[in-house]
Order: sequence, then C-alpha cells, then structure tokens
Amino acid sequence: MLAASCCDRRMCVCPGPRRIAIPVRSSRLPLLSDAMPAPTHLFPLIRNCEISRICSTMCYCHHKHLCCLSSHFAHGHFRYAPQKKFAALYRPKENFYQFVHARDYASTPQRFYLTPPQVNSILKANEYSFKVPEFDGKNVSSVLGFDSNQLPANAPIEDRRSAATCLQTRGMLLGVFDGHAGCACAQAVSERLFYYIAVSLLPHETLLEIENAVESGRALLPILQWHKHPNDYFSKEASKLYFNSLRTYWQELIDLNSGETTDVKEALINAFKRLDNDISLEAQVGDPNSFLNYLVLRVAFSGATACVAHVDGVDLHVANTGDSRAMLGVQEEDGSWSAVNLSYDHNAQNEREVERVKTEHPKSEEKSLVKQDRLLGLLMPFRAFGDVKFKWSIELQKRVVESGPDQLNDNEYTKFIPPNYHTPPYLTAEPEVIHHKLRPQDKFLVLATDGLWETMHRQDVARIVGEYLTGVHHQQPIAVGGYKVTLGQMHGLLTERRAKISSVFEDQNAATHLIRHAVGNNEFGTVDHERLSKMLSLPEELARMYRDDITIIVVQFNSHVIGMIS
Amino acid sequence: GCPRRLWMPHPWRHSRPGWMWLWAAWAAGCPGHSMIGHIALAGALEVKWETLLVGKKELSDSSLTPGYEGWWWADLLLSSAGVQIHERTSVSHVSVQKGRVTGVETDRGHIKCQYFVNCAGQWAYELGHSGEEPVNIPLHACEHFYLLTHPLKEPLANNVPTVVDPDGRIYIRNWQGGILSGGFEKNPKPLFTEGRNQLEIHNLQEDWDHFEPLLSSLLRRMPNLEALQIMQLVNCPESFTPDMRCIMGESPTVRGYFVLAGMNSAGISYGGGAGKYLAEWMVNGYPSENVWPLDLKRFGTLQSSRTFLRHRVMEVMPLMCDLKVPRWDFQTGRQLRTSPLYDRLDAQGARWMEKHGFERVKYFVPPGKDLLDLDQSKTFYKPDWFDIVGSEVKCCKEAVCVIDMSSFTKFEISSTGDQALQSLQYLFSNDLDVPVGHVVHTGMLNENGGYENDCSIARLSKRSFFMISPTDQQVHCWAWLKNHLPEDSNLTIEDVTWKYTALNLIGPRAVDVLSELSYAPMTPEHFPSFFCKEMSVGYANGIRVMSITHTGEPGFMLYIPIEYALHVYNEVMNMGQKYGIRNAGYYALRSLRIEKFFAFWGQDLDAFTTPMECGREFQVKLEKGMEFVGQEALLEQKQNGVYKRFTMFILEDHDTDMDLWPWWGEPIFRNGRYVGKTTSSAYSYTLERHVCLGFVQHLDEKTGEELVVTTDFINQGEYEIDIAGQRFQAKAKLYPFSSLFAQRRRKDEVELSGYQRE
Repeated sequence: MLAASCCDRRMCVCPGPRRIAIPVRSSRLPLLSDAMPAPTHLFPLIRNCEISRICSTMCYCHHKHLCCLSSHFAHGHFRYAPQKKFAALYRPKENFYQFVHARDYASTPQRFYLTPPQVNSILKANEYSFKVPEFDGKNVSSVLGFDSNQLPANAPIEDRRSAATCLQTRGMLLGVFDGHAGCACAQAVSERLFYYIAVSLLPHETLLEIENAVESGRALLPILQWHKHPNDYFSKEASKLYFNSLRTYWQELIDLNSGETTDVKEALINAFKRLDNDISLEAQVGDPNSFLNYLVLRVAFSGATACVAHVDGVDLHVANTGDSRAMLGVQEEDGSWSAVNLSYDHNAQNEREVERVKTEHPKSEEKSLVKQDRLLGLLMPFRAFGDVKFKWSIELQKRVVESGPDQLNDNEYTKFIPPNYHTPPYLTAEPEVIHHKLRPQDKFLVLATDGLWETMHRQDVARIVGEYLTGVHHQQPIAVGGYKVTLGQMHGLLTERRAKISSVFEDQNAATHLIRHAVGNNEFGTVDHERLSKMLSLPEELARMYRDDITIIVVQFNSHVIGMIS
Repeated sequence: GCPRRLWMPHPWRHSRPGWMWLWAAWAAGCPGHSMIGHIALAGALEVKWETLLVGKKELSDSSLTPGYEGWWWADLLLSSAGVQIHERTSVSHVSVQKGRVTGVETDRGHIKCQYFVNCAGQWAYELGHSGEEPVNIPLHACEHFYLLTHPLKEPLANNVPTVVDPDGRIYIRNWQGGILSGGFEKNPKPLFTEGRNQLEIHNLQEDWDHFEPLLSSLLRRMPNLEALQIMQLVNCPESFTPDMRCIMGESPTVRGYFVLAGMNSAGISYGGGAGKYLAEWMVNGYPSENVWPLDLKRFGTLQSSRTFLRHRVMEVMPLMCDLKVPRWDFQTGRQLRTSPLYDRLDAQGARWMEKHGFERVKYFVPPGKDLLDLDQSKTFYKPDWFDIVGSEVKCCKEAVCVIDMSSFTKFEISSTGDQALQSLQYLFSNDLDVPVGHVVHTGMLNENGGYENDCSIARLSKRSFFMISPTDQQVHCWAWLKNHLPEDSNLTIEDVTWKYTALNLIGPRAVDVLSELSYAPMTPEHFPSFFCKEMSVGYANGIRVMSITHTGEPGFMLYIPIEYALHVYNEVMNMGQKYGIRNAGYYALRSLRIEKFFAFWGQDLDAFTTPMECGREFQVKLEKGMEFVGQEALLEQKQNGVYKRFTMFILEDHDTDMDLWPWWGEPIFRNGRYVGKTTSSAYSYTLERHVCLGFVQHLDEKTGEELVVTTDFINQGEYEIDIAGQRFQAKAKLYPFSSLFAQRRRKDEVELSGYQRE
C-alpha cells in the first residue's frame, strides 16, 4: 500500500486541521482504507460501554472542528476526494453507533473511562518544572522558574520544547516548536536553535576563546545549561554534524566582528535565519553516513514553527516564526488578569502576513499564493523552519530527491511539488521579534503551540494561569442582594465555582493545569472530568481529529526583582 | 420532652419517648411528601413537636431564634408573675462574696440577687470569665448558615414537620410558606476564638460557597425546590461544647451561679426541657432526672483553653449529623493530660482514649498486628480489637497484667484532730472508722440516698484519708466536699491527682512480682484484701500499695509518686517477665469488671441510684447508729423495698460474630414486657457470653405505676434484651457467678486456693 511507505502516513490520512494537506491522488486510497479500520479498532474498546457517550464526544468535538473539517474538505485540499467519499468515511461510525447502541445501551458505562488518577498520570507524564536557584537566599533573576508540559495527539508527538540558561551571557531561553510533516525538523530546531542564539549573543572575546579551545582541543566553555524533561532527547548521531555547522557560524561571526555590542533582536533574527539556512545546506550537501543523510533530508523536508523567548533582567524578547504564540499575563490593579500578546501569528488570519507574502511575489501569483487560508493552498503557517519544498527551486528539489535515499524517493510527499510554484522561496524562517520591558505587574509568560490557542482564548489562559500561580481565586463572594435567584440557579453557579477551585489543587504544574482546562473545559469554562477522561481515552488514530499536540511553557517572573531593576 | 435525648441522640435507636424518628415508609404519608425526591430516604426523618419555653407563639412565628414577638409573649407571661425583663442592658460582671453570688453589675446599675443564670449563649464563656471568680463555661462559636426562601407556589402549611436528613447533613422546615434549611457542614468555620464578638456578630457575611454542599444535598433530597426563589442566606453563629452535650447546672466554684448554655444548635428544641430542669435545680437543689451528662461540673478549668475549644468544636459540629458509634473517641484536643509513662506505653502499641482530658490506654496492639483505620473500625458489631482484648483478659486471669490507671481522681483529707473522720463519716455511707491501713469501698450519697460519687477510701493514719474516685469526679466531688465539709482550718482537703501515677497489677501472679520487688511477704496472711500499706518497690520508697484491683481479680494498685513512676514501671516489667507480665488497657479491665457485676459510677450508678438498688446494702452503715447523708432515704427503702434493681444479664442465644453487640441503653423485656434498660455491657471472655448490666423496674400492667421490685420478681421471669430490634434471651442474676471468683490456679499454688478477694 502506498501509504505504508509514507514517512508519516498519519499525515496523509487525518482529515483534521492539518498543517499540510496533500492533494495527491493516491492518498485517497490510504485515506479510506486507513480510516475504515478505525471503528474496528474501537469496537473492542466500546463493546462494554455505552457507545452513546463516545458518540456524544464525537459530536461534541465536532462542534469545534467541524468548521475546520468542512472548510478543508469543501475548499478542496481534498479536491480529488468527492463529498460522497467523505460521507462514506463517516457513515460506518453512524451505523456502528446505531448498532451498538441498540445492543448494549443499558450496560454499565464505567469501564471505558479513565479514572481521575489515570487521567492525572497521562496529564503529568511530560510535566517539568524548573525553579531558578536562589542565590544566597535571594533570587536575583527576574525569572522565578517555569513549568512546562506537553500532551501528544499525534503519535509520535510532533511538538518539541526547549529551555536553557545562557551561561556565557545572562538570560534564559525558552521555546516551543510545532513540527509538521513529521517531527524531524522540530526535533532538530529544538536541539540547535538555542546554540545559534547563544552564539549570536556572545561577545567577540568569548567567541574567540571558544574557537581557540576547539582548535587546541581544550575543554569548551559550556554555553548553555539545559533544563530538560527525561523525554526530551537529543540526537547523538547528528551532534557532530550539528556542531560543525555551528562552528562554521561562529567562525563567520568572528570574521565579521563588527565591534558593536550584540543586539538581542538582531541576534535572534540572525540565529533563526542561519539555522534554517544550515538545515537547507546540510540537506543539499548530504552526508556520507546514510542514516545521517536520511536524517538531514527528513529535517529539511519536514517543517517546524518556533516561538522563543529570551529573558534577561527586565528585557524580554520573543522571536516567533509560525503560529505558536507567546502571551504575557498581566495582573491589573484590581487583581484581575489580562493578556498581552507578544507575538503575531504567521498565518492567513494575519493580514500583514498575507500582505508580506504577496509583496514578495509577482502580482500574477496573487490569487494562488494564499488559498483556503493556506500558503499555496497547502501550508497553514506562513513562516517555518525546514519545508524546503516551499523554499527550493523545483530543480533543486528534484535533484536532491532523486539523488537521495530510496525511502525519500518512495515518499509521495517529498516528490510532490506544490501547485503554482513559480518564484520560490515562498517560505522563510525569519522571526518577528517583539521586545518588552518587564513591569512588576507582568507576572508570567505563556509560550504555547497552536494546540492550546485553538481551544482557549488568551484571556482565559491569562486568568487560569494567574489564578493558579497566585493561588487566589478572584471569585467575588456571591451575594443574592435584591436579585431574583432560584435555588437551582444558585446551585449551578456554586458547583461551577467549586469545580474551578478543585481543579487547581490537583496540579503542581501551571502548564499541566492549563492542559487540563484546554482538554477538559466544558461550556462553563470549568474542567469537566468526564469530558477530560473521554478526550484522553481516544484511541491514537482518533485523537488527532479532536485535538492537536499541545505544548506549553509557563514562565513565572519575579516581580520583586523586576520592581527593583526597573 | 425526655431529657435523655438531649445528650445522646442515637440515630440507630428509634424507640425514644417524645422523639419521633420517621422512616421512609412513613414519609410518603407526611404533608409535603411530594417534595421528597428520593425513594430511599437513607436517613431518618425527625419531627419536633415541642412546645417551647416562650410559648407556642414562637413556633408558629417560625423564626429560628426567639424574635421580638417571642420576647413580647414571654414578657406578657412573666410580668404577671412579677418578673421584670431588662432589654438592651449589658452585664459587666457578676459580684461574688464568700463564694456566693450577691449581684450583677450592669450598665444601668447594680442588681442584687441570690441566683444568677448565665444563659448568654456564645457569650457565656466571656461572661463567665468576666467576674473576679471566673466560671469556666467551655463553649465556642461556629458560623452556622441557614437559607430562607420565598413561599412555594402553594405555600407550605404550618403543620409540615421538620425534616432532618443526617446523610445530607441538613434540616428543612416551613418558614412563612417557604422553607428554612440549614445544616452542619463537614468543614465548620469557628469564629470569635479571641472573644469580643458582640459587635461583629451583626456584620457576618453570607458565604454561599461554603453553603454549597448543603444546598446540593437539599436539592438532591427535594429536587422540586429548584425553582424556589432565594430570600436570604443567614449567617447565625451557634455555640458548641467539647462533647456535643449542652451545659447546665451550678458552678463548682461560685454558689448561686447557674449556667444554661452551649446548646449545640438545638436550643429551640431543647429549650423547654432544659429550662424545666434548671428551674428544678435552682429551687430543689437538684433536677428531677439525672442530668450528670449535662452538668457543668463534668468540665474543669482544663477545658477552658480557647485553642482547645476551637479545635474541638471543629470536630464536634460535623458530628451532629454523623452516626455515633459506640466507643467513639474525639480526635482533637488530645494528649493534654498524660501519665509519665505515656511514651513508654505508646511505643508498645498502646491505643488511647480520653477521659476528662487524660489519655488512657484502651488496649495494646501487639507488634505485627494491624487494626483497621479509624473510619473503617466504626461498628456496632464485633469490633476489631476483640481478640486483642481477649488475650489481655486471659493474661489477667492466668498471669499478671499492668494497667496504667493514673487518671483516677485522688484526694487527701486530713485534720489535726478527729474532724476528718467525723466529717467523712457523715458524708460517706460506709463506716470509715476502720483500723489504719484498711481500704473501704463506699458511696458518697445525696439526701435521697443516690450516689453522688462511688469511691475507695484508704485510712492512711488516724487523721488522714486517701480517696480514690472516678476520673470525671475531679470537679464534681471537689465541689461536693467543699460545700459539705465544715469550714474548719484544721481540716484540709487536697487534690493529689497529679502527684501519683497509678499502676494496677492484676492477676494471680501479681503477688509474686510484688513480693520479689519489695522483699516483703505479700500473701493474704500478711497483706489481706482491701488493705493499704506504704512500702518500697524496687529502689523507690513510699509507694502506696493497695490490695484492690477494681475488677474482683486478685492483684494490687500501686500509687507511685510520679518521679518514681518510670522506675517502678520498669522494675515491675522486668521482674514480671518470668511471670508472663504484659500491658493491658481499660477495655480488658471493663470486661473483667462487668463479668463480676461491678457497677461503675457515671455509667451504671448516678444520683438517682441508691446502694439498696444495686445490692450494696453491705456497704452502708445503717445498723451502726451513725448519722450520714441519705440515711433516711435508705432506711425507708430498706423498709419498703426498692423500685428498681440492678441486675446482671447473660445473653444466651447471641452470636458474638454475627449479631449486633449490646453496648448500653438496650431495652430489657421481662415476660415480654418492658422493664428497664441496660446501663453497660461487655463481652465476658470467661463466660464466652455477653454480659449486660441494667436496672429492672416493676411496672403495673394496667396503670404503669412503679411497684416494688423483689428478689422473686427478678428471679421468676423470662428475660430478653432488645438489641436494635432483635431480642435475645437473657439469664438474669442478682449476684455474680461464684465460680468466677474461684481462682483457676496451677497445682503448685494450692496454698493460695483459699484466698478470695470479695
């Protein structure tokens, strides 16, 4: 089957809000044949439980995704897949629903559900917290620490996260990376980008010192101190390759020595661009080692967005490429929470971004540049690492694929050339950098991939995290006063308020808490355990239809220190 | 109403006079039944048909606290009797002279009085402490919320009963056609710990989030109320006491100072009965029923700590709606008074209960054995400690055990001349003019011949006596002696409870242990029963050794000056090893005592029980021609017979493993007719049967009149004990099994076989 040889076949079959939609004719087949078995997988799971509950989950979730689904389908990135087929995809489930419903309606519904401890163990599997060590009883850093977590929807997860302290300069780097068409690019960027940034920030003398050390085989000054969850891995095989590229970069920086003090904004932009460039070059040059050769190609042909924050004292820089988002949580004088955006999404919803793309290409392409809210009708983010299919010329792509390993050659995706591909590059990794001077009222920063922002409004995020971190729930005491309130209304209100509080106490990690809300929130904005359990119980092949990978980093600031510096 | 329910609501008993527990079946027929949502009403419904002190008017007004109209009504009633009510008058303090109330200082001047009743509710504590002579009234306020609603579409009728749902922790009653509903939450909010609350009480806020669980259970029970409109959530603090029972009676320190407070949120329903008994108390000197469980004197100053009260009421308030299982111990406010051996015993697996603030051992959990968690151990059936206590009892019977009984109240009464003997002879019913070194078991009776105290008194010398009373007698007995002993500077009475650690050495081998430790012969010839001698044990001298064990088993009580406690305990345990000594607790003691038909003051005996009624005529000096308190009453009983008789029952067809256990308060049936209730019970490991102790009355079949109870009446009846609705055959006995006293001894100890203790 064609799909089996695909490097990431799930990418082809999933009808969800994919970053890349591939209108390859042959993908129709795997689409159907792969999706069909889904009910059969489900069957044993559901056999003992009330099917209507699962279906209600589906229906419920469809609320959110239906629009995406229908728009994707209707606007035809599955343009070879007629509506009829789409219907066929879903019908088996309906039939199935009716069939099981009739058979097993009265049986106990409990068994299918995850218990709260099970839910918690899933939610907490990837959580990580780092607390900036206090120096002599005083924390002189403007960062108190951070909480991070990620919840996979893809298998394997395509999101990555990184956090590190710059050891040769001051400051802390934090970033989330959302991969598409596989996780290879996101993985590479998460390993490499911070080195590029750190090197860009290093003063000339330090660069020289490092270069001399490498030259003479002396021990290298450590540049970064990583704060990694055990699940966050680094590729050992590619480290030498990556190191050489990095070394070339700092050698060039040494040669270019401008003598000026390094501007953080510039450093970030340079680092992003340089890394993307290196990824591209490595893929073009190839590697004698066939594993590495395949790796660099996978990295280059897949893509990743990046949203990176650099915090040094009161200076906060956020460099963003793609549609992940950074948001500042601000506590107003009355104690309430508000959100300040520190990044712009690079997608079709951003008019400036659409405008930018259009100005970079001839007027003749204006119509084909952005279709169905996607770049060239395919790609959701308008900026990204990797994705050489949107950057290289057609000739280059063909040459590399043909000379590349068989696995690459067999891959329908890599061979496919985007339609209306006339004036590459269409895509850039250059970030937009926003600088913000931290104020005492700026309490925290949330970096998250679009999996979170699709489900939650930033205002809610600010409130939930703010209340979590302060441990204070700004729930004004209720007073009936002269209002007409019934016992039932009051009861509903109180239950809701209580649920809010109780969900806070379950989590020791702000990011986990946020994920709990993102996945489990009901229409009242409170965590509904049943819904949470259902969402997390979804089998692998269905999960991606209802949610995206979610990766969150919550950085907590030290208002005390910020107040003193500023 | 029946006062008994005031202090011990038993949700599992539904046959209490004047107190109706309605079960689900009945609920279907009650007005307003359409509101009852769930078919299975797991708890019970309760109907309060009380007439209140202030009159029926208040009830029909249906305001929770006596409102203005209530006062108006009371004013009208009382002014005709010459009573004045001063409103908006604040009391600064109560004047006391020579230990008596003389007047009240108010912001409107001085009011002379003989009697003062502190019924200031949650302010009673502060008011009690405002005078020169503080009166400690241990209570503490907690916030209490209740909901008022607008009337139902079809307003509720006045005769709708009050519904109590203990599972939901709520009560619901009619209020102006709508409902009034409050409850006792699991997480109470104590307040006013630091006092001075009069002003703040008006500014208390509604707390809906706190009320949420109660509202949820209200709507679960009566879903149709959902559409009912809220009028108000009232925050009205209630005061709670350390043991969930109200506080009434005269102060132990100030005569004429009475208290009625700490109603634990049941003031309205208890008001009538409580007022009645307090009035009787003030007029007659004592109420017409035994109210010891409510008596202010059950507390001392040791319960006056605000921290203690705050913590304890947080435990008490949720208990209002919980099932009260037998042998329940409070978990808060513990480890206040402890024996010097506490840590040693605790390390050996002791499990503790508390009496009058003193930690006492229940039993020792052997190493490697696990008991159930506190919550799981709650039962009315065979408890998890059954085998543990059984092995302790066996050791008491066959070898020797040590029980730390330091909590006993200990007084020393001495005089320069004969004053002590003379006064005590008058106050106590048994003859105390015994040779020095003898111990006398005697009652301290009131004018009616009832037991105010049941104690052992050792004559230490011609002029001094050592008195041992139950633990909770510390305040009551002290007050009684102070009030009845003559004012004489040559007569001194001292509370030495804290000076001595008491160890009870029970068992046939106790004599061996003690003689080895003291190098003194302890055999009955040298140390007969009911004897007291100061001697040395180990290195320590001046240990008061008494040949009593409070159980009828052979053995000794050691009263050890506390600094020697650890030494003597270690010596006893070391020396006892070869005799198989081990630690035991009060549960073993209790089993031993009850199977021997030993009555205990506070459980079996009270101020309305006389020696004649419990077969203790031999402990009364009626024939000696000496005057003593209660003599006339006893003479009359001797002549006319008694109207109740303390009887022992042995359950015949009771399955210890499967059947509900008797605990106390079970009805006794003679030939199918109710004749009384049990007062205590225990499993006898020797008889392998349950033993219940209780009083049997003889009620006329037609009139219900109390008739004289004769020995024949007791002996010629078929008895049954009703345990939670199931009746078990019981054998009645007026005297203990003599076989139990015949010591089962090993053959090498035949020389001791003639030794009998009681």
